Amino acid sequence: MSILDVEGLSKSYRQAGGESTLAIENISFQVNEGEFVSLVGPSGCGKTTLLMCMAGLIAPSAGRVVVKAAEVDGPPRNLVLVFQEYNKSLFAWRTVLGNVLFGLEVKGKPAREAEEKASYLIGLVGLDGFERHYPWELSGGMQQRVAIARALAYEPEVLLMDEPFGSVDAMTRLELEDGLLRLWKELGTTILFVTHDIEEAIYLSDRIYVLGRRPSRVIQAVEVRLGRPRNQLTTRADASFMELRNEIYKQTAPRLSSGW
Amino acid sequence: MSLSNHERGSEVKSSGRFNFSGLALFAALLLLWEFSSRFTPAIQPYFPPASRVIHSLFQPSLARELFGHLLDTLGRFLGGYFLAAAMAVSLGIILGYFRFAYSLLEVVIELLRPMPSVAIIPVAILLLGIGNSMMVAVTVYACAWPILINTIDGVRNIDRTLIDTGRTFGLGRWKILRRIALPAAAPYIVTGLRISLSIALILVTTSEMVVGGSGLGFFILDEERSLHTSNMYAGIVVVALLGYALNRLFIAVETKAMAWHRGLTARGML
Repeated sequence: MSILDVEGLSKSYRQAGGESTLAIENISFQVNEGEFVSLVGPSGCGKTTLLMCMAGLIAPSAGRVVVKAAEVDGPPRNLVLVFQEYNKSLFAWRTVLGNVLFGLEVKGKPAREAEEKASYLIGLVGLDGFERHYPWELSGGMQQRVAIARALAYEPEVLLMDEPFGSVDAMTRLELEDGLLRLWKELGTTILFVTHDIEEAIYLSDRIYVLGRRPSRVIQAVEVRLGRPRNQLTTRADASFMELRNEIYKQTAPRLSSGW
Repeated sequence: MSLSNHERGSEVKSSGRFNFSGLALFAALLLLWEFSSRFTPAIQPYFPPASRVIHSLFQPSLARELFGHLLDTLGRFLGGYFLAAAMAVSLGIILGYFRFAYSLLEVVIELLRPMPSVAIIPVAILLLGIGNSMMVAVTVYACAWPILINTIDGVRNIDRTLIDTGRTFGLGRWKILRRIALPAAAPYIVTGLRISLSIALILVTTSEMVVGGSGLGFFILDEERSLHTSNMYAGIVVVALLGYALNRLFIAVETKAMAWHRGLTARGML
């Protein structure tokens, strides 16, 4: 059953000269309840614009986003966005515990219950013992885990993630991917994950929507039929993984074989 | 978020250890005061030796009188400072966040701000008389500017992502102002508060000198006019100590409240 529907979404921006440019054009896709879906596309293709529209942070120029049968016209209660720039999104004046508690405070959870839930989530993202640390005392990967725990504390039914692992090093990235899959399995939250890394999208997802260049549209929907749980070594070495990867590369970068 | 240079530069770091050379220089200056006065009796009526000033400070009758004036000055200071802080922080957050509110007030702010605040003392006397309300009003007016300007600056420097984070968690505008804009702008607000601390004391003592009646400013000027110069210097010493104590108190509170921010800047993460 679909929990998230994007229907004919377009967004244009007015530029300084007065003319408007189209960032995304007539995008439609859907995400079913409990699924892990990725959007991949080249840098600057309007992925962030699309996510901002879905999160109700900016209004689309045309089309609509429907979450759980309700049209989005402001940040929906049952959806939360995790930003790529965790260092700008975390509250520097709050500790790890304070940041995670924020997600519960805004829902009006009683203090006692909130504290328990926050500790549980901090444990789930592997940060036990760091409750009293400030974000700046943690590494980039740990900071993004705090941001994820804070988002999960809000108990969203849909979690939108905007290139969440785009600013961490490669090794940390693999760990974060596996950590995220464990969380997803444990909590059953629907996840829409945006990335420009095609292999990351395949590794994580049930389904991938491939976006083209600006103004972007969905140029391909790919079902990922790899077994779970996935493994950084064996899954990525799987023949069908390679096949998917090549197929998507051919779509997004047709000139890849001929060079530039 | 980025720090403006004045914010970094405004805090002269004390080493935290016992500053022997600094205290030695201070003692040397006291001795210079003492002996330059002692060896030139002609200037003693205007410039009494340090020992005589210290001696008069410890006269029970004068000490009692000074303490009364100190309480009056302190009361006006606290009233003016905290009223200014509450008003300027609230207004600054709104002006920093809502562009149209700032455009509306920008011209008024830019015209009034550069005016020396003491120039409104006569206006305040006309409108409010010569009581406490006049002195507090003048102090509020003068203190409000640095706090207001720094708060506006702080809110404007908040990264868009931080505001969007509040929105995606379902916070409305007013909650974003209180729960995100206020703490995020706190380092700037503290800078404004630190600048206003000394401004408040200047305005309280100046208005006390102008309208008279009570307070350390009044005492200093009154003793000068009665040619009790050692008493006058004693008053100056007390107001100096008051300023010093208030500053130390401010730093102590700031150190505790802004610990998160110091670590952040030390790591160069801003």
